[in-house]
Amino acid sequence: MRNSNQPNNSIAISLVRPKSIFWINLGKNWYKFSRNKLSIVGLVIVAGMIISAILAPWIIPYPDHTGPFVDFENAMQPPSLQNLFGTDYIGRDIFSRVIFAFRGALIMAVVVLAIAVPPGILLGLIAGYSQNTWIDTIIMRITDVFLGVPPLMLALAIASVLEPNLMNSMIAISLTWWAWYARLVYGMASSVRNEYFVIAAHLTGASKFHILLREILPNCLSPVFTKMALDVGWVILIGASLSFVGLGEQPPTPALGQMVSDGAIYMPNLWWVIVFPALAIVLAILGFNLLGDGIRDMLEIGRD
Amino acid sequence: MKFGSFLLKRLLLSIFVIFGLSIVIFIIARVVPGDPARMALGPRAPEEVVQRLRQEMYLNKPLSEQYFYWIRGVLSGDFGRSLVTKRAVSEDIKEYLPATVELAIFAGILMVFFGILLGTLAARYKDTWVDNLIRILSYFGVAIPAFVAAIIFMLLFGYYWPILPVLGRLSSGISYPTRITGLLTLDSLIQRNFVAFWDAFKHLILPSVALSLAHIFQDARINRSAMVDNMRKDFLSAERGYGIPERVIMFKYLLKPSLIPTVSMMGMEFANIFANAFLVEMIFNWPGLSRYGINAMMSKDLVVISTVFVVFGAIFMVMNIIVDITLAFLDPRVRFSTSRGI
Amino acid sequence: MKASNFVRFLRNGLFLVLVVSLVLILSCAGYTQQEVKVIRQTNTWPCYIDPAVGGDFTASVVYPNLYDSLVFPNPDGSVKPCLAKSWTVSGDGLAYTFELVPGVKFHNGDELTADDVVFSLERIMTIGEGYGYLFKGSVEEAKALEKYKVQFTLKKTFGPFLGALIRLYILNKSQVMENIQKKGPYGEFGDYGKGWLVSNDAGSGPYKVKEMKTMEYLLMEKFNDYWAGWENKDAPQYVKQIGTIEAVTVRTLMSRGELEITDQRQTSENFAALDQLPNVELVSFTNGEVLNMMLNNKKPPTDDIHFRKALAYSIDYQQIIDKVFPGSKPVSGPVAFDTPGCNLNLKLYKLDLVKAEEELKQSPYYGKLDQYPIDIIWPGGTKDREKVALMVQANVAKLGIKVNVVKMTWPAICDIVSKLETTPHAVLISIPPQYAEAGSMLMARYHSSSCGTFFQGEWLQNPEIDAMIEDAISTVDQKERFQKYNVIQEKIAELCPSIWINESAIKQAYRSDYVVFPAAEAIKQGKLHNPNTGYNFYFRDFKVNPEKAQPPYTPFKP
Repeated sequence: MRNSNQPNNSIAISLVRPKSIFWINLGKNWYKFSRNKLSIVGLVIVAGMIISAILAPWIIPYPDHTGPFVDFENAMQPPSLQNLFGTDYIGRDIFSRVIFAFRGALIMAVVVLAIAVPPGILLGLIAGYSQNTWIDTIIMRITDVFLGVPPLMLALAIASVLEPNLMNSMIAISLTWWAWYARLVYGMASSVRNEYFVIAAHLTGASKFHILLREILPNCLSPVFTKMALDVGWVILIGASLSFVGLGEQPPTPALGQMVSDGAIYMPNLWWVIVFPALAIVLAILGFNLLGDGIRDMLEIGRD
Repeated sequence: MKFGSFLLKRLLLSIFVIFGLSIVIFIIARVVPGDPARMALGPRAPEEVVQRLRQEMYLNKPLSEQYFYWIRGVLSGDFGRSLVTKRAVSEDIKEYLPATVELAIFAGILMVFFGILLGTLAARYKDTWVDNLIRILSYFGVAIPAFVAAIIFMLLFGYYWPILPVLGRLSSGISYPTRITGLLTLDSLIQRNFVAFWDAFKHLILPSVALSLAHIFQDARINRSAMVDNMRKDFLSAERGYGIPERVIMFKYLLKPSLIPTVSMMGMEFANIFANAFLVEMIFNWPGLSRYGINAMMSKDLVVISTVFVVFGAIFMVMNIIVDITLAFLDPRVRFSTSRGI
Repeated sequence: MKASNFVRFLRNGLFLVLVVSLVLILSCAGYTQQEVKVIRQTNTWPCYIDPAVGGDFTASVVYPNLYDSLVFPNPDGSVKPCLAKSWTVSGDGLAYTFELVPGVKFHNGDELTADDVVFSLERIMTIGEGYGYLFKGSVEEAKALEKYKVQFTLKKTFGPFLGALIRLYILNKSQVMENIQKKGPYGEFGDYGKGWLVSNDAGSGPYKVKEMKTMEYLLMEKFNDYWAGWENKDAPQYVKQIGTIEAVTVRTLMSRGELEITDQRQTSENFAALDQLPNVELVSFTNGEVLNMMLNNKKPPTDDIHFRKALAYSIDYQQIIDKVFPGSKPVSGPVAFDTPGCNLNLKLYKLDLVKAEEELKQSPYYGKLDQYPIDIIWPGGTKDREKVALMVQANVAKLGIKVNVVKMTWPAICDIVSKLETTPHAVLISIPPQYAEAGSMLMARYHSSSCGTFFQGEWLQNPEIDAMIEDAISTVDQKERFQKYNVIQEKIAELCPSIWINESAIKQAYRSDYVVFPAAEAIKQGKLHNPNTGYNFYFRDFKVNPEKAQPPYTPFKP
């Protein structure tokens, strides 16, 4: 499709409006997506998570258990009809807390990506466009610095010197995340920028903004979307790791990693206190991984 | 010649990255409120003593000067004193780094061996039950965070099925072999202390498996897809046409080019092993640098946090370079272009 | 596979089997030794074995074993001669002269003289950490009069001086001086040997440091030339303090017979589970340690007495004692009923939300409560205290008070309480008396000298109370002193600077089949155990008989 020997106009148009093309080809895209049954499973899981997260305050059986609440009489009960996942060491219903924690995790992932992705894309675009100038070098070197260390480690370090709360853990993760998008977009932008249609636009006097945002950017978007879908799962994972260590949502608000770490003490007798939050984490990551793979199948060309 | 300059470029880049990281961390550490000298000596220490320590730590000088002194200290091996262990950080690092390295190497070996094995098997028996099983396992395996796996192992092997140890590097009854490299398995082998070797090995199993689990499956997936992609290429049909047996094709001709994405992935995964080691070491009470780092993070031991960061940064720098060299070795195309990384 | 491949496979497999079995046989060869007497105990970490640095429970367990002091505490609160065989007090109570036992050897062979005593005092007063505060305010100096005679001069009379003296542990002056680092904040003393003393000891006690692995364990070995001899033949040869209190780990170790005594930080659920293990017994003592919710008296809204009283009335003390800390006892003020000198007439607070509401109405913060949320901090490793914090949070939510429950590590807590602005509204810290008298608790908790340390999160800084405490402490006559203590306790109860939750029940689980734990035996017989922190773990008095151990038991190999 990207054969630069072909005349520019048709390619320019088809490349510039991928969004409309996406909806026009919805049927074809859906086919590509659903060819892999696992992607459908991912979609179902993720849709389920999102719906239950949105409706959480109304559908969970014991909404006040997610706030300040103690009930020693009912503490440490195994799973039963009243408490699907059992109760924890001070009597709170684990099922309600897990669903509520899902909600927190999803919100955190959305916020983190919203904070991290746009600057990352922007920087990657600028660097890719002004290739081999000093702007490019500076931006990419800074990116390298932030990528030099695995995200979990950097997030831990930043979150640990700040006050432990949800906002700060989101900031910490965002700080580690933007660089991945910058690098990704940089790679794509620096190759697209050499395409004829970009040069054509430049020649016809289009402003830098126009070139960046309407010529180059749309062509970098498909791997970005794929990565975003996959990343929700990883952000949830890092968020859980942070709350496992106590840096994140503070009690009594439930957080998945924090529930796992709390439950570890009561093992193995009270297995339900750990097993269900852990399963929830695994399910979340699994769902988004499958979904992300499906999206990649749908958006990218020439895969198995 | 091209290769040499390529290597040099990478080295310079990495050093720059380390410095950049150290600046970031240093700023964060110094900006956080608190008087490091007072924290180190305790609230009841007499004021003159605290003043003297403040002078020693250059706390009264501007931030840039402090950074200069810190870097100078770091380069000469003096990293300051830990708040928690009250010892020189360099001593602490000397003691704990080998533990983490040993764990990471074991996890790395598992990851490389099983990752490539599973990926190759899946590609070889593509679309049969072997392939499907491995693919399904991979999806789950990748989704299990290291700390969840670690906790589950703790539960299973600590209580229900106590066949493997879950605490530390050696059983309480066995004394440490004299320290040569700090890697217990290696040291005990060198000294022919098989009791200690077997014990240390047993202690390594659970943490390394927990640590490498997700990465094994990640690598298996990458390897499989790389091999599958390459399998359709032309040169394979040529080889089959020549009558070379399938097994030879698989391992000799197919593996090498397919390893390219795998190896670059593995480099990153190995770095992630070190990151995940933080939580796994905490759970298994493994006295390694990561656990030391996490303790420092939770106790706001800023001196240690900065130092551990620089140390880990240096480790990754070395690893990235090794990965790049391996890649260059595997794929001649890389040597002749200026690579920008993944 | 082709035939040659198969043969190759077989050969490799055989080789592998041979290697593995060889390794296994060799590893089994080690297990035919005589069984070593050892006590392995888990404890919170880090463990500071430098007697001028540590002051918490873990350090206090280690000090009486590695070091000696001039006197040794008895269970009833009095002291008996130890390194000092006799002493005289001057008429005005300001000079104490001690005659030392001659011929006491340090672990490295040097002899203990008066110079070492003087050195140890100067060192602990200069460094000021740990137990240093006991001496700084009251001791002027110490002088070596002769080789075995040392004189302490006090600044003012200090009634419980002898009781406090148990915490002056004597170090070997020449050994420490050999190992100081020139570069350090103590002038000519450099770092005062702190660096070396992190993993070594310079003591004369019944045990010496064999191995100190900073983040993992401390291994102590019997010092055969201990000056007081070894009448107890069954005393442990080795003592290992293991640095973890993770519930799963402790339970695993205990169930595999790799642990003789647990730490005291396990949750009540875990203790109940440990009790179920065969041959494991649970012993519970109280030693006057009070669980305090220290309220910052200078930070709104806890700076208002009515707010504090409202908090005090919103706590369900009975439920805490029944459900969260079974075995603990109620407490009416800063001093526990067990501690000599406690005022027995103070009234106990009870859960009464109506009264709480009344108190709150009298507070200037009433009606603006959502602008004043409070933080309740609890230290990591004390899971049961989180339950208390969550309970308080739930109860006061009914009054409209907003609470944030925050977990922090112990070093982080020590850091934030060092300054007024960073001290939280409420922090749950339990404080044991430093020596067996109410005065130690009052001094440690409410005298302004302890502001900025973990002993006092209240910042009370009340000059009247300060004066009363100092006056009481300098009173030499015990009856008078105790009366003064009573008055102080009344005054403090009126001010309600803190909430006193309960007197902690210190629990340990231990292997009763082959370990004789003197404190546990004393409790069983209704006698007194030693209330001074750490002295229940004077391992020289323990008896260990591994031949009596029932399975599971893992022998210890040094």
